[in-house]
Amino acid sequence: MSAVTLDDLSLRDIQLSPPLAALREAYFRAVPEVCTERPALITRFSLEAGLFQRDRITALDKARLYRRVLENRAPVLWHTRAHKRTADGLEEFTFVDSSPFAGSTTTRFKGVPIYPEFLALGLWPELWTISRRKANPYYISEDQVRTLNFDVFPHWLDHSIAELARARGGDEDRRRMQLLQKFVFFLVSKPNCISHTIPDFSRAVREGLRAVIQDAQAHRDRAGDPAKKDFYQALVEGLEGIIAYARNLAGSAAAMSNRETDPARKAALAEIAHIYRRVPEHPAESFREGLTTVWLCWTAVHLENPNVGLSLGRLDQLLWDLYRRDIEAGALTVEQAVELVGYLWLKIGDHVPTVPNAGEQLFGGSGSNQAITIGGVDAAGRDAVNDLTYVMLRATELMKLRDPNLNARYHPEVHDGAYLRRLCEANVTTGATPALHNDRAVIRALTASGHTLEQARDYGVIGCVEPGSNGRFYGHSGAILLNLPSALELALFNGRHRHFGMDAQISPESGNPLTFGSFAQFKEAFRKQLSWVMDQAVALNELFGRIHQQVYPTPILSALFEGPMEKGQDVIDGGAALNSSGIAIIGLADVADSLTALETLIYREGRIDFAGFLDALRKNYEGYDWLLTRLRDPHRTPRFGNDDSQADANAVWLVETIEESLRGKVNYRGGNYRPGYWTMTNHAGFGRLLGATPNGRKAGENFSSGITPNSGVTPFLTSALRSVAKLPPECLANGIALNLKFTPDDGDRGRMIDNFTAAVRGYFDADGDRSGGGMEIQFNVTSHRDFVEAVNDPSRYDQLLVRVSGYTAYFKDLNPEMQKEIIDRTEYRLSSGEAVLYETFPLAKGAAHG
Amino acid sequence: MANAFTRTTLRLVSPALPGRAQDWLVRSLSQPLAQQFYGQITDQFLELLLRGMDLAFALSRDYRRNIEGFRATYVWKTRDGSLACSAVFHDGNMTVDTQARPNPDVLITFKDARALWAFLLSEDQDALDSILANTVEVEGNLNYIYKYGFLARDLSKRLGVL
Repeated sequence: MSAVTLDDLSLRDIQLSPPLAALREAYFRAVPEVCTERPALITRFSLEAGLFQRDRITALDKARLYRRVLENRAPVLWHTRAHKRTADGLEEFTFVDSSPFAGSTTTRFKGVPIYPEFLALGLWPELWTISRRKANPYYISEDQVRTLNFDVFPHWLDHSIAELARARGGDEDRRRMQLLQKFVFFLVSKPNCISHTIPDFSRAVREGLRAVIQDAQAHRDRAGDPAKKDFYQALVEGLEGIIAYARNLAGSAAAMSNRETDPARKAALAEIAHIYRRVPEHPAESFREGLTTVWLCWTAVHLENPNVGLSLGRLDQLLWDLYRRDIEAGALTVEQAVELVGYLWLKIGDHVPTVPNAGEQLFGGSGSNQAITIGGVDAAGRDAVNDLTYVMLRATELMKLRDPNLNARYHPEVHDGAYLRRLCEANVTTGATPALHNDRAVIRALTASGHTLEQARDYGVIGCVEPGSNGRFYGHSGAILLNLPSALELALFNGRHRHFGMDAQISPESGNPLTFGSFAQFKEAFRKQLSWVMDQAVALNELFGRIHQQVYPTPILSALFEGPMEKGQDVIDGGAALNSSGIAIIGLADVADSLTALETLIYREGRIDFAGFLDALRKNYEGYDWLLTRLRDPHRTPRFGNDDSQADANAVWLVETIEESLRGKVNYRGGNYRPGYWTMTNHAGFGRLLGATPNGRKAGENFSSGITPNSGVTPFLTSALRSVAKLPPECLANGIALNLKFTPDDGDRGRMIDNFTAAVRGYFDADGDRSGGGMEIQFNVTSHRDFVEAVNDPSRYDQLLVRVSGYTAYFKDLNPEMQKEIIDRTEYRLSSGEAVLYETFPLAKGAAHG
Repeated sequence: MANAFTRTTLRLVSPALPGRAQDWLVRSLSQPLAQQFYGQITDQFLELLLRGMDLAFALSRDYRRNIEGFRATYVWKTRDGSLACSAVFHDGNMTVDTQARPNPDVLITFKDARALWAFLLSEDQDALDSILANTVEVEGNLNYIYKYGFLARDLSKRLGVL
């Protein structure tokens, strides 16, 4: 059987069944609900095991803890009730669940899992008010408030990762943590999670967990080192816990089936019981069993690791053999496969991250960013697109969910136009997904950062857009979010920052710019300040990483990963086959354009001196209208994104300088540091905290998102794409997000998709094999009018899906600044490739979430 | 603050009262604080908040449960040094000092009463703004601040403000 046998790649005749459509509708109605099961069990068993008294907690300690939790979790099969928003607050409603997949991340239909080991205590002050906050409220009962307040949170006061780092770190570390708390220079995410990675489900699916347990036992019995013996036993304990959870679910399904009077539901429950007795303990023998194995392992991984950026990898490759076998045997139809995948997608989206109010205001709207990757080439470089690729694409179109975050791989030299056209069509249908990745450029980036060619070819996408080898790369791709314009600020003001007042010397002096005789001198000052900011962030990441090693090993993840079994080491200790830490750089286009503006106006034209420019910045361009007009005119002041050699050269210099500043840094797991250019919503959050910048951006305005040129820079799509494609992939190994907005042309949909496809192919082929071409691209295909109406009447657009900068979100969940930014992004008409001009969207004063 | 005798008396008497009556008493005796919770902030905000907490700990067994086994020292001071005070939690009691104790678990430096109110109690954007605008700075264990934030809001709930 060929890998692609479908006559119609769009599968447009397949629609959602009524039960799945009804469940999806309930999902959209439901607000997230805080679930206290995990924190209550974790706290209780930690107390019983005396873990709060330990300076170090081993993988075996953790594994025994998780096994007890898995054995004692409520075996939830089908949900029956949730809460919805009404004019008077939150109100309970009931629905009928029909999912073939039992078990859930929390006990709730759409739950908020609580991880008190990390930042969950930030919710403490809000427990009484969180169900009525304006931005993305969570339902929580009074009993749950009391559970968290009395039985959970008090025990973690001195034991969260952040506090342990503060207490165990030195004075220099505490000074850096003060910087971190200011939000101005960087965010370091290890106090919140590591998570960002793709487990390896292949052995679980193909061999079953029992075989992995036996392997671990054999390694344990052979190991001489007691620590290694303990580690292998930890793998056994963790996996036994997953099997126990599956058995509990099977038992519960059997009991429910016996009680059920409706014949169809009785049979469905009996089938669940049958499957859950088999998998994940034993090898999956059908497509549905394969999906079930992935799902159950996934819930266990989330029990252990916070739900931030954990990703599922190349599911169309993992499950292809099972799918094909079922289809060939007549045991499965394509329609049934789409249905099963749709149900699984809904399960994957059954939880949202814990975000306190301040986080919602700064960075809100994000889901758990569980990326799934489809398509691409295999480890030998051959076309890996198969029927299941299209099945998953169709399920994604029908479900239109924020989570999972679908990413599609395309290789310009391997894949045909029909595949790329189908990917573009899906973007038009959904308005925002999947994100598209150029295999040629990504593989080049990964091999340059330590992957072998085979490992690079087998990459999956992590979190938002970050590539890493599937199941073997422990990369914490979101370890650091670095505010690049803050380094520019320090260079402009010789180590001072306007946010802290000009009396405070924040970083070492890099020279008074007023005395610089050349642009090269300013660039050198910037390089010094960048290096200082980077060093602070990296030092903190190392500190937090060491705390994770001391108290938060992850035996379940390690059991589902390539490397730990061979090395006898937890992934947190460097057990993975590949290790790294990722830095997301925020504000690239703003800094590139600022450098170009200084170069052009001060050093090339002498139109203004440095003192004058700094005065304009301090005054937020008040009284400098001529300068602002000049800076914002891309025809007179070169800008990145306009295919201008001077501006693009500065952008290239920047990414090379950033890459260089990280070269040689080795993380606590023995891996490297990799830069990437995706911003989630941080370009809005960081932008709020910085004064005016030399590119004509006023104080408090958003930075440009991802690697995207600033809005309004170019009237032509091709110019923007060419500029971005000039950036060398070798410097972008932690991924990029190029955000584009297309007008859905009213007329000819077919022609629109053709033009869409041509634009993407041109971007991926730019510069041919020399540069690798553009690396990634993602879209919003929604009309300006619909966006504006969605702001005014969110209830009518509650399912409007958008790409922020990396992940997908529901437009209604974004904060007003982010909504404005998406509306104001340059919009291109596909029929002509020209920008469509609109008035800047006004930000309502006091605007809040809908 | 209530003196030791008053506190002990209230603790002895209050268990005889049902929980609602305990909360009613707290509410009745804390009217000036309630006004502050409604946003009418004065320079006495911190003093009134601590006094209200002291009263609630004495009168309400349920509220007192929040600090059973809790040991921590908080210090507040204004940026200009015009005000400093400490609250020490120990053995289910809270004692307040009108000076900054050394080596606190958490030190909160704030610009003025409104900034502190916004930081601790506002449900809107003020809390974030107070951090971003550098009107409140925190040194020490942030988890203790979260706990204190809950204590303040739990009290405001008992006063019928939330």
